[in-house]
Amino acid sequence: MGKYIQKRLFKGAITFFITVTLTFFIVRLMPSDPATMLMDPRMTEAQRQQMLMDFGLDKPLYIQYFTYIFNLFKGELGISFMQKREVMDIIMDRLPWTLLLMIITQAITMLVGIPLGIYAGYRRGSVFDQVTNAFAIFGISIFVPWLGFTLLYFFGYRLGLLPIGGAYTPGVEGGIQYFLDVGQHLILPIITLMTIYLANYVLYTRGSVIDVLSEDYIRTARSKGMEENRVLWKHASKNAMIPTVTAAGLMLGRMVGGAVLTETVFAYPGVGRMIYQAVSQQDFPILQGAFIILALSVIIMNILTDVINAYLDPRIKID
Amino acid sequence: MEKILEVNNLKKFFPLKTSIFSREKKYVQAVNDVSFELYKGETLGLVGESGSGKSTTGRSILKLIEPTDGQIIYKNKDITNLKGEKLRNTRKELQMIFQDPYASLNPRLTIGEAISEPMLAHNLYNRKEAREKVMDLFHSVGLGEDYYNRYPHQFSGGQRQRIGIARALGLNPEVIVADEPVSALDVSVQAQIINLFKDLQDEFGFAYLFIAHDLSVVKYLSDRIAVMYLGEIVEFCKKDDLFNNPMHPYTKALISAIPVPDPTKKVDRIILEGDIPSPVDPPVGCKFNNRCYKKMDICEKIHPKLQDFNGHKVRCHLY
Repeated sequence: MGKYIQKRLFKGAITFFITVTLTFFIVRLMPSDPATMLMDPRMTEAQRQQMLMDFGLDKPLYIQYFTYIFNLFKGELGISFMQKREVMDIIMDRLPWTLLLMIITQAITMLVGIPLGIYAGYRRGSVFDQVTNAFAIFGISIFVPWLGFTLLYFFGYRLGLLPIGGAYTPGVEGGIQYFLDVGQHLILPIITLMTIYLANYVLYTRGSVIDVLSEDYIRTARSKGMEENRVLWKHASKNAMIPTVTAAGLMLGRMVGGAVLTETVFAYPGVGRMIYQAVSQQDFPILQGAFIILALSVIIMNILTDVINAYLDPRIKID
Repeated sequence: MEKILEVNNLKKFFPLKTSIFSREKKYVQAVNDVSFELYKGETLGLVGESGSGKSTTGRSILKLIEPTDGQIIYKNKDITNLKGEKLRNTRKELQMIFQDPYASLNPRLTIGEAISEPMLAHNLYNRKEAREKVMDLFHSVGLGEDYYNRYPHQFSGGQRQRIGIARALGLNPEVIVADEPVSALDVSVQAQIINLFKDLQDEFGFAYLFIAHDLSVVKYLSDRIAVMYLGEIVEFCKKDDLFNNPMHPYTKALISAIPVPDPTKKVDRIILEGDIPSPVDPPVGCKFNNRCYKKMDICEKIHPKLQDFNGHKVRCHLY
């Protein structure tokens, strides 16, 4: 097992290195340079050259590349054009909000979606299965801003039960009150995200439970005199979890990228909204930074997924 | 001899999916009116080609599929309609060995867990006793004790079938239904496993219902043999009677097909024409009439009854 993890880590490091390199060159391929983009029409050519020197853009490409990699290892992702702050600091301000939202959402969605999927697969074709499927498909097909606005309109505006955006009410501070306030702000974004993520868990799990239930070893378990509950929840479900774990790993990996649409609709101060803002302001260092963090997270989650799968299925392991 | 299991007029019809416009509902008549009894410590061979309903018969007895009609009596108790707890307790005494040793073991369980699971679930032993019992079983079926913590994929076909046998023996069954237990194995391994079956029966004294499509396999093990064709028993008698004096034309054809390990000896093979007809739409009269080389006019009109000639039962108009 240890050797397997080592191997996966090594592969992950290579993947990250390639990603980071690609990011670097994609940015250089753009027809413009940061100095031109930041430049005021009133600036002179000499000022522009000065600026390129400040950014280190006058040096040969390979030196720029090594500086970039070197800075990356120090945890420096550059400076935002618009906010004139370290990109790392900006992302770190946003990340906790996004993680708070996404971790809660994913946890609830898993807790609800996986059992639903297992039972729907077990009772394939039943009313329960059909209703679950219909809801899952409805959820995955829905247009997120529409759902977000509808929820905001009813619960925030008409009923006035929940706040109409943001992550906290400015001024509310200290202990339990702050905690409750943040919780209230989370409810609608969580419902929105759950609606769209639920299908992933339900449908993957359902499909794989249906496959597993037709396996011979399920018949064996029944012939051993195992209770139906044990057959379903122990023998079938554990074997059926592999595709679900893989899907969950991918979704969790993308978590740090936030949810661009949802966070924007709810004016939630997370990474997703930051990306939305950075795109509209052409703030490339932020985008580049977000991209690198996202890549790192996806790679780590992939390694984790592989390790969990190797644990779940003894046939996978080292080879 | 003590009668342990009795099957009376067993029927299993699988409904076919028909279009909503067709008026009549069609059925696959997998097993049609099969009756036999099994005595303590004996081996009953059930032979027939694919589609003859032999596996369906075996599985119906363990109630892995619900019989459409008929009666299954185990130790003078009607178990046909048992459900839940009572069914599980009966299954403990009626165990099955499956055809495919690869697919019938749960890949997520070590073989020790797979074998000890039912013992623990039925509260036959505590954990420590169960482990000892598993070791005993390993010894009985010729597996090493250090295999306890290994997974199914780490074993060869022959070893897996030994595991399957150990699993079936774990609950001290009185009846073992072996559904083509050697047909997935290569010939040299087949011989070992068949010998193992024989040794185990001498040691533990259970009754076998041994299902096979290969007469030579059944010949070595069985006390009595039932030959099935299209869901019916066509001939049923003591092993020696069957091989020395086969009565049904189908049985004769099967016996003539057994390979003789002597290339110089000339054998008169009876070659049957065509395939087994569809069990959805079996021939009128004798079900064998379209392939029979001794067909008479009556065979196309009247369905022959199973007649008893001093314990040698045959379903044919010739007699």
